[in-house]
Amino acid sequence: MNVFASIGIVILAMLIMASLQLVPGVFALFFHYVSGKYSFRKASSLSLYFILGSEIISAFLFMSAFFISYTLFLNDLNPRNNVLTWIFIGIFIALSIACFFFYYRSPHSHNTELFIPRKYAKILNLRAKSVKTPSDAFVLGALSNTYELIITLPLYIVTATEIMYMHNDYFADDVMTILYIVISSIPLLCMYHSFRIGHNLAQIQRNRVKDKTFHRIIISFSFFIIALLIICFRIA
Amino acid sequence: MKDFNIKAIQKELELDAKALDIPSGAAKIFIQHAIDSAIKSLSKKTLITENDLRRAIAKELKKYHPDLAYVYQNRDTII
Repeated sequence: MNVFASIGIVILAMLIMASLQLVPGVFALFFHYVSGKYSFRKASSLSLYFILGSEIISAFLFMSAFFISYTLFLNDLNPRNNVLTWIFIGIFIALSIACFFFYYRSPHSHNTELFIPRKYAKILNLRAKSVKTPSDAFVLGALSNTYELIITLPLYIVTATEIMYMHNDYFADDVMTILYIVISSIPLLCMYHSFRIGHNLAQIQRNRVKDKTFHRIIISFSFFIIALLIICFRIA
Repeated sequence: MKDFNIKAIQKELELDAKALDIPSGAAKIFIQHAIDSAIKSLSKKTLITENDLRRAIAKELKKYHPDLAYVYQNRDTII
């Protein structure tokens, strides 16, 4: 039963990671700007560097989370009176409420402005506009992933603990880690594919606006269920 | 008090048009038309904000290319 709880937590964490909107939003802007300035072929190749940057920083952060998780929990969220486990449950419930109400700045308007401070959004916008070389694209991908750390870090830590816990009996860490990184980046790859087959920023943004309530609910609900799973199967 | 740089707006719109695969000759013509009409429609006002100008240009652009108008109006609210 415990392993099923671990699998549930990892799948929900993947779902949250795949529903986060900062990296796809920056990617959409970035692709729009570079395809306005350069040929389609160059825009495509630059966007691969963006994806690579985002994936590599995501992998590094996740690997650091393994270390943090091992230091904090020694592989297992199990200890009954562990204050840290309760702190993480509190963080997940807080994130669940915060994401429902504040993930988008104005949930009912026709835009996708996110929770991040406007200063950071401007920096990302300016950087997306001024990308010229593959290294610029790589850094932009990495940077946009890092700005979401406030939501992703607790998720990385708990997922790493669960993956290490499952490893003891059933799965290999490295396979689960790679799966986690790849599955959570599927929306970004889908967006890349949409641009490649001829969709433009207007069409993609209209879809993002249409789906924003769905994303908000999925993120919020998944955080809440993860907190419940930890309470039911790791503490109770 | 700030003057608007119409040339910069025009250049930005042309880049957007290229990204949206609009033929550059046609884009240049209707962007110029849209900007001229927007300025004309705002000429009676004594004070205009950047948002007023953006809205007016987007409204005119919508007649020629709705996707370009949408991108121009929503570019800063994507993230």
